Amino acid sequence: MSWWLGGPVPADGALHFGAPTALLAVAAGLAVLCLVLMLAAVRTGRARWVELAFFAPAALLLALAVADPRLSSESGVEDAGRIVVLVDGSASMAVEEGGEPRAQAVDAQLAALSSLGPLEVYTFDEDLQPGAPAAYAGHASDLGVALSAVADRYLGEPLRGVVVLTDGIDRGALRRAVNEAAAEGRLSPALVPALPGPLSLVAVGTPRGLRDLAIEEVVSGGFAFLRTPVSLRARIRGAPGEEVPVRLAEGGRLVEEQSITLGEDGRGEAVFTLVPREVGRFAWELSVPLSDDDAVPGNNTHPVVLRVVRDRTRVLQVSGSPSTDQKFLRLLLKEDQSIDLVSFFILRSPGDVRAGWRGSELSLIEFPYERLFTDDLSSFDLVILQNFNYGPYFDSFAAEGLLQNIAEYVEKGGGLIMVGGSLSFDMGEYAGTPIARVLPVRLGLEGAKADETRFRPHLTAAGKAHPMTRLAGNPDETEAIWSGLPELDGLNLSLGPTEGAAVLLEHPLLKAGGAPMPVLSVAEVGEGRSAALMVDASWRWAFSEVAQGRGNQAYLRFWKGAMRWLVADPEDRRVVVVPSRENALVGEELRLTIRVRDASYGPQAEARVEGRVVAPSGAELPIDLLTNAAGEATLTLRPTEQGAHRVEVRGGPLAAERAETVFAVSARDPELSEITPDHAYLRTLAAIYGERGRFVEDGSVSDVLLDEGAVRRSPQRAELRLAKAPGLGLAFGLLFGLGLLLRRRLGAA
Amino acid sequence: MHSRHSPRGCGPAAGGLLGSALGPLSRRSALGLLATAPLLVSRRAEAFGASSLQDIAELQLSRGTLSRPAAWARLLYELMEATSVEANPSSVLISPEDPQLFEHPFAVLIGEGALPPQSPAAIEQLRRYLSYGGFLVFDDASGSPDSAFAKSVRSLCSTLFPTRPMAPLPGDHSVFRAFFLLDAPVGRTARSSVLEGVTIGPITPIMYVANDLSGALDRGPDGRPKHAAVPGGEDQRREALKLGINLLMYALTSNYKHDQAHVAELLREGKLLDLRLPSAVRP
Repeated sequence: MSWWLGGPVPADGALHFGAPTALLAVAAGLAVLCLVLMLAAVRTGRARWVELAFFAPAALLLALAVADPRLSSESGVEDAGRIVVLVDGSASMAVEEGGEPRAQAVDAQLAALSSLGPLEVYTFDEDLQPGAPAAYAGHASDLGVALSAVADRYLGEPLRGVVVLTDGIDRGALRRAVNEAAAEGRLSPALVPALPGPLSLVAVGTPRGLRDLAIEEVVSGGFAFLRTPVSLRARIRGAPGEEVPVRLAEGGRLVEEQSITLGEDGRGEAVFTLVPREVGRFAWELSVPLSDDDAVPGNNTHPVVLRVVRDRTRVLQVSGSPSTDQKFLRLLLKEDQSIDLVSFFILRSPGDVRAGWRGSELSLIEFPYERLFTDDLSSFDLVILQNFNYGPYFDSFAAEGLLQNIAEYVEKGGGLIMVGGSLSFDMGEYAGTPIARVLPVRLGLEGAKADETRFRPHLTAAGKAHPMTRLAGNPDETEAIWSGLPELDGLNLSLGPTEGAAVLLEHPLLKAGGAPMPVLSVAEVGEGRSAALMVDASWRWAFSEVAQGRGNQAYLRFWKGAMRWLVADPEDRRVVVVPSRENALVGEELRLTIRVRDASYGPQAEARVEGRVVAPSGAELPIDLLTNAAGEATLTLRPTEQGAHRVEVRGGPLAAERAETVFAVSARDPELSEITPDHAYLRTLAAIYGERGRFVEDGSVSDVLLDEGAVRRSPQRAELRLAKAPGLGLAFGLLFGLGLLLRRRLGAA
Repeated sequence: MHSRHSPRGCGPAAGGLLGSALGPLSRRSALGLLATAPLLVSRRAEAFGASSLQDIAELQLSRGTLSRPAAWARLLYELMEATSVEANPSSVLISPEDPQLFEHPFAVLIGEGALPPQSPAAIEQLRRYLSYGGFLVFDDASGSPDSAFAKSVRSLCSTLFPTRPMAPLPGDHSVFRAFFLLDAPVGRTARSSVLEGVTIGPITPIMYVANDLSGALDRGPDGRPKHAAVPGGEDQRREALKLGINLLMYALTSNYKHDQAHVAELLREGKLLDLRLPSAVRP
C-alpha cells in the first residue's frame, strides 16, 4: 500500500491541499471543459455514457493531482534534560594556591560532571562563550550576565541542572546587588534571573591562607600642570592592620617612602605630592614589598606616567625704563590668553629720587629682585630683560649670585631674551657677568657701545628658515616682509655672535670682527635657549604696518615665534611623538603618533621617521615610518612588558629633530584587585533560589542539584504528498487509456 | 603736515625758573632739578635713537584746536626728572591724517570750542592709531565739562568707537596710580572731579581732561606760568603736573598698576611664594 501511495501513511495524519485555491479552480474548470468537448463529439448515446464513465474519473484524478493533496502529522521524542556548566574564565581563577593555579580543579570537576549526563559547557567573563576556558585571563567576570544568557538561550527547555564553577569573585552588578540586599535584609528572587533548571554554585579555591599585598590603584588624573602640586594616591590592600612601606621612585631612584597602616578592611592609602618642574611625560613607579608567599606578585608595583602641561606660559618681563617698546610688548603678552605675564617696570631709578617728590605721593612698590631671581625664577618659562640694567637695583654683594641664578636657569632649560636699549648689553654692564655666558652675542666692547644711525636690518639665510623670523610660508615672502619693515634708529653694539649662536638679523653696514654686526641672534645654551635683540624699537614694526592700513601681523608673528622658540615646549617642537594613552595594560593596543613639521611649522609629508621603543628590559622595537599628507605617522603596538617604556624618534630634514616620550605598561588587572574566593556571596546567591539553588563549598560535583524530571522534547513531522503517489498516475493512465479505446470502438469521431 | 617745536625751557635754567614759579613746594623741586642736571645730561647722552624717547604729538585741526608746546616740554622735562622714562622734551604739531602720527604713540588735542567734522580718512587713521597702541588725551582749554569742545569730543569718540561710549573712569583706574597717587584730576581749573575715557578691553586709549591740564602747565617766554590755577593756586598746579605725568606713565604702562594691586593675591595663590610685601605698597 505504501508503494501505491508513495510512502507510509502518517498516523493520525490530516489531509490538506498544497496548491493555491485559484489554481484549483482553473484546473477544475479546464477538466470540465475538456469533458464537455469530448462528449459533444460522441454520436451515440451509449458511447456517450461509456466515455463519461472513463473520462470523468480521469479528469477528477487530474484535478486532484493539481490540488497537491498531502497527508501530514506531527509527533515528538523526549530525551533527558541537559546539564549546562558555566566556568569562570577570569584571571582570579589563575591565582596560585599552594603553588598551583586555583583553576586546576576545574578539569577534574568537568570530568566528574560529564559522568552525570550530556554537558553543555560555557566560559563566562564579561560575556558567555561556548566551550571550556582556553586560558584564565578575563578581566571582568560577570555571573549575572552569564545566568541571564542561559535563561534566554534555554527559554522553554527545562534543564537538568545549571552548574557554575567559580571562585565567587564576581565583578558584575549581581554581586553588588546581592550583597547590598543581604546587608539590608531584603533578599528576594527578583534580584536574580529565573533559570530553566536548578542552580549549583560549586566553589573553586579556598578563602583561607592567601596573602596578597597589592597596590590596587594609583589615582593621578593622567596629567598635571607645570609647577602645580599634583597628588599620586596609591590605594594599598593587604592584611588588616599591616604596616606597609610604600615607595615612590623615578628612573629607579627613590623619591620618597611612606609607611602606612592598613585599616580593619585591609586597605589604606599613601599620598605622594609632586611639583612637576618640566613639561612632557614622566614616569614614576610605586611599589610595596614582595614576599615569597604573595599570591599575585604582579600587583606589588604600579608604574604611572603623568603628562605635564603648561596651563599657561609664564613670562617675567623686567624693564629698566617704561618705553613704547616695552608697552607694545606688554600689550601683546597681556592679550595672549596662553601667557601668564608678570611684569616689573622700574618707574623710578635711584637718580630720580632727587627730584624732590615725597614718597607718600608715589604709587610705587619695591622691586622684589632677590625673590624673583632666586626661588621664583624657576617658575617662569621665559625671562625678558628689556632695557634693564641690574647695577642700580641688585645689592652689590648679591648681584653676582643673582646673575649666576639667571644663567643657570637658562642652562637648565629656561628661556631668556635681552632686548636692547641704553640699559642693555654692554650699556647695562653685563660684560664679564654670568649673564654674558648665556647670551648669543659677545660683550666687552671698548669705546662706543651703541650706534644711532638709522638702518634696516638684513634677514640672514638662517633667519629665513628660523621660526623666530620666518614671517611667511616661504623664505622669499619672509624676506619681502622684512625688507618692507621700517628703519630702526638705535643699535646695541657687540663683539659678534658667540660660538654656536645663529644670527637671524644683521646690520647692513656695521661689522663686528669682520662679519656683519648682529641685530638678532639666538643660541641653545645647555637645555635652554637665549636670544639677543639689539634694538629697542621693534614696536615700530607694529605701528608701521598699521599706518599702511594693514594689521600688525609682522610684529605679532615675530614675537609669538620668538616666544614659541624660546620656551621650547616639547609639544611645540618640529618633531613630536605622542602615545594614545600614558598608562596601558600589558597586551593592550597602544598607538604612537609622530608629527613632523617643516621649518615654518607646517605639516611635513613623506618625512622619514626613525627611532625605537625601549622596553624596561632593554628590548627594542625599531621605528621606521613615513609621514602622511598631514605630517603624521602612526605605530601600533601591544606592549608585553610591565614598566615604563621610552620612545625615541628623529625626523625632519637630515633627521636633525628629535623627540622623546614615555608610557607606562602595567600588568595589573582589575580582576586581581581581589583574590580571596567569596563563598559568602555564593552561599547567599544559592539561598535566593531556595530549593532550586545549592552552594557546594567543598567543590564536589557529586552534590550538584539535578532535576531528574526535566525532559527535552524533540519535535518530528511526517508528511505524504499524494500527488506524487504512483497509484494516482496509474489510475489516471488506465482510465484515460480505456476511455480512448472504447471511444474508438464505439465509433467516436 | 607736522612741525616740531624746539624744546624750549628744559634743562637746568628752566628748572630754576620752574622752582621760583612754584613757590615753597617748588623750591624743593627746583633744587632737585638742579641737583639732577648732570644726571639728565648724562641720561640723554646715553639714549640711542629718537624712537626710544618719549615725546608728544599735538593734533591740529583746521579750527578749534590750540597748541601749547611749552606746556608739553615742561611736562616731559618733569617726567624725565621724576621717573626713569627717557624722553625728548618736545612736541610736534601733526594732522590726524598725517601718517607720521604713527611715529608718536602719545598724542594730545587741546581745544576750547567746537571741533570741525573730521574726514573719513582722519577718522579711520585715528581709529587704527588708537586700536593698535596709540594714546590720545583731549584737553579742554575752556576748563568746563559742559563746553562745546566737550560735546565735540564726545561726538568724535562715538564716531571712532560707536560701541564704547566715553565714560567717567572709576576711582581705581590705573591712571590714578600710574606713578603718583592722585586724588583729583585737576588742571588750570578744578570744575570737574572726574576723568573721562574710552575703554577698550583692559586699556583706555582715549582720555578727556575737562580742567585744562595744559593751561596749568603752560608758561610764557619768561618761564612763568601763563595762567593762574584756580581755585587752588600753586598746589593745584602741582597736582596738575602729577596728573600729566600719570597720563604719560599710564600711556606707557597701561594697566601695569593693576598687576601690582594683585601682588597680594598672587602671594595667596602661591604664584610668588613667600614674597615679602614691600612696605611701599599702597592701594
